[in-house]
Amino acid sequence: MSSRGPLVAVEKPRTEDELARVLCEAAEVRKVVVPVGGRRASGMGGLVERCDVELHTSGLDRVIEHSPADMVVSVEAGITLEAVQAELARSGQFLPIDPFNSPGHTIGGLLAVGWSGPLRLRFGSARDFLIGIRVALPDGRVASAGGRVVKNVSGYDLMKLHYGAMGTLGVIVAASFKVFPKPLHDVTVESRGGWPEVDRALDLALPPVALEMFSDGRVLARFFGSPDAVKATAAGLGWDEADGSIWDKHAESAPARWARIAAPPERLRGILESLPSKSTWWASPGAGIAHWSFENTKDLVAARSAAEAAGGSLVLLAAPDDVKTQVGAWGTAPETLEVMRRLKDAFDPDNVLNPGRFLF
Amino acid sequence: MALDMSIVDELRRIVGRDHVVANADDLRIFERDASIEGAMPDAVVLPSTTQQVAAVMKVAAKHAVPIVPRGAGTGLSGGAVTIRGGIALQMTRMRRILEIDAVAQTALVEPGVVNQELSIAAAAHRLFYAPDPSSQKACTIGGNAAENSGGPHCLYYGVTTNHVLGMEIVLADGGVHWVSGDTPDRVGLDLCGMLVGSEGTLCAITKIKVRLLRIPPSIATLMAAFPTIEAASQAVSAVIGRGIVPAALEMMDQVTVGAVEAHYRAGYPTDAGAVLLVEVDGIPESTRELMSAIRDVLGANHGYAMREAQTQAERELLWAGRKGAIGALGRIKPNYYLHDGVVPRSRLPQVLSAVGEIGEHYKLPVANVFHAGDGNLHPNILFDLRDKEVLHQVEGAGEEMLRAVIEMGGALSGEHGIGLEKSAFMPWIFSADDLQAMQRVKSALDPGGMLNPGKIFPDPQRAKVRLAGRTGFAVEAKWW
Repeated sequence: MSSRGPLVAVEKPRTEDELARVLCEAAEVRKVVVPVGGRRASGMGGLVERCDVELHTSGLDRVIEHSPADMVVSVEAGITLEAVQAELARSGQFLPIDPFNSPGHTIGGLLAVGWSGPLRLRFGSARDFLIGIRVALPDGRVASAGGRVVKNVSGYDLMKLHYGAMGTLGVIVAASFKVFPKPLHDVTVESRGGWPEVDRALDLALPPVALEMFSDGRVLARFFGSPDAVKATAAGLGWDEADGSIWDKHAESAPARWARIAAPPERLRGILESLPSKSTWWASPGAGIAHWSFENTKDLVAARSAAEAAGGSLVLLAAPDDVKTQVGAWGTAPETLEVMRRLKDAFDPDNVLNPGRFLF
Repeated sequence: MALDMSIVDELRRIVGRDHVVANADDLRIFERDASIEGAMPDAVVLPSTTQQVAAVMKVAAKHAVPIVPRGAGTGLSGGAVTIRGGIALQMTRMRRILEIDAVAQTALVEPGVVNQELSIAAAAHRLFYAPDPSSQKACTIGGNAAENSGGPHCLYYGVTTNHVLGMEIVLADGGVHWVSGDTPDRVGLDLCGMLVGSEGTLCAITKIKVRLLRIPPSIATLMAAFPTIEAASQAVSAVIGRGIVPAALEMMDQVTVGAVEAHYRAGYPTDAGAVLLVEVDGIPESTRELMSAIRDVLGANHGYAMREAQTQAERELLWAGRKGAIGALGRIKPNYYLHDGVVPRSRLPQVLSAVGEIGEHYKLPVANVFHAGDGNLHPNILFDLRDKEVLHQVEGAGEEMLRAVIEMGGALSGEHGIGLEKSAFMPWIFSADDLQAMQRVKSALDPGGMLNPGKIFPDPQRAKVRLAGRTGFAVEAKWW
């Protein structure tokens, strides 16, 4: 958690212009600005060095445009994921984003932290269907990139730059997405068979859109597609049918102290097996991502070494301050840190946005 | 401006005497890509290793010489054209497939590997590389990554950026870095995602790790005719509105169908106002069900003469017509010029009727062949370059068509890139602040501005894009 002293100004602008002005005025006098969305991922990252202005996006919560026929939606950053899904559902559409610690994520927050959930296996992360972005910059400018069409190579892909940048390059004020039709058929099945069943399911000719393995050996698989295809596939697997609402419940998962382990998919199992016995974790083995409810710093350090040795990472999603200080939120900095710093300097030369929370 | 001989010698010491082209006659081969505009490089350098690329980049930086990475030269927006002279960094000697990991379903390739070669190599492992530009027999993976190329099957599978897992890059200062890789959610900024599609203006690409997909066990390809383009556009929206995203959904208008049919005899009905190609893939149950639903939707939307490929050869023939369409248009006029603006799919009928009117106004035949599912247009303006007056008309028509795209809420390019051709139009869709934000990235990574100068951003040195007068050489050489 960031230290929030008594002198913190809490700003809740209602418009993009207001937000840009707050940011610019703070930046001019070198006040530190911490953008705040739904606070669902506020435990992620390092401790912010200082906070002078809490800049909430909650006042920017409109659907700007949803064109069902074009399968594109544009929203303001402070809208919650659930509100976007409700809008899309009216036309039988959805965004395949199902982050943990739901509900309550804002779109801007989700893009800033880059969280994903089980559906990543089939759809990728929001990075893969974020088609436009609008960002307020510390110098008062508001800059857009991309557009509202599903395929676009006009100009630099700054969507990718801001995605997962932890709000350190600017404050996302709006975003456009390619949306997806709800599946013709949606089936969830369950097994207690552990890794062998995971391997079987991932190897199917019609692979699951989500496949989650739990530390107790439970496995959940979800299939989308045409009815006969989905039914035949699920039947072939021979697992028990499960209620689809299990995914909403799963999305609520958020232990008090947890970390995300990412690794090349084929290396993930080895890392999970090296965790202390009786550890609680769940994983998307096909995507190479696991979430672990860790107990102490010693375990953390060991797991991070294992993840990094496999070419992966271990990142803290929520941890007491002293743990963050001791082990660091991010682990070994990437080799390209110097290149990233150049970009940081180009957008936020005075380091007023979230200093200390990310790599700079 | 010729390069100082001492610089040429420096380059030769890096890559070897045989791998630097500096003779005026030989350089002409590298004057252009597949777009209309050309400009001569001062030297062409053909490196064979990352170290050589880095060393060449340092020489360019030291002497402030422009440097332009180049793949197969199939680009359609002038991205590989050395508009300020300097060095063309020809990457095609680096053409090894370094690894195909069948378990992880990834491939590590050098930038000069041809797109289709990769899919052929991957097929031995029952895998394929999804992005399939129509030029896939010639274009390179490095060029695809630089341009964020698309292709018919990107409707379902996504474009190049969705398939590049990581890259080894060389920055303007000669620094070599790996960006991203085969691990998801890497710590730090997504440099890889930002560099894909940066059109050689931010880095040279020396290795690419891509995702491979399993070849679907069943593929169904359907051809359907429609009385009008409007009806076909409506049918496209209806299919997707039904909740079906086919692997590919391509449209050809009557002009195109006529040319293709004369050339390939793919069995497209020449009386049709438009022909759709629809493909679905997956397990047999799935393709069967989806195709049946698609037939219903198309039938309800004035589709007729529907024919599903019964054999692989039939499927290939249906696709040969689509992928070879632009070549077949040579039967009508020897030259074509095309943009690839994208509109929101619901605006397709409107924008196509605008395109038709513009063609009539300029008295130029226009053939539409495009990625209908994505709303990604390809209006081919057909002309004969030997008619020297026609270029002004072609240019005017092209610009007006792009204008129409933008007025309907579209974008300048879906997959060909901005390059040289459309840089002057960037202010149509981006504000000064938007462009300035992009410029910050450029300045941060290439402060000297030597990497592919004159591209993407409006160039104050060139008031307006001019096709005419830039094609003199092609006319003289009677290339066509």
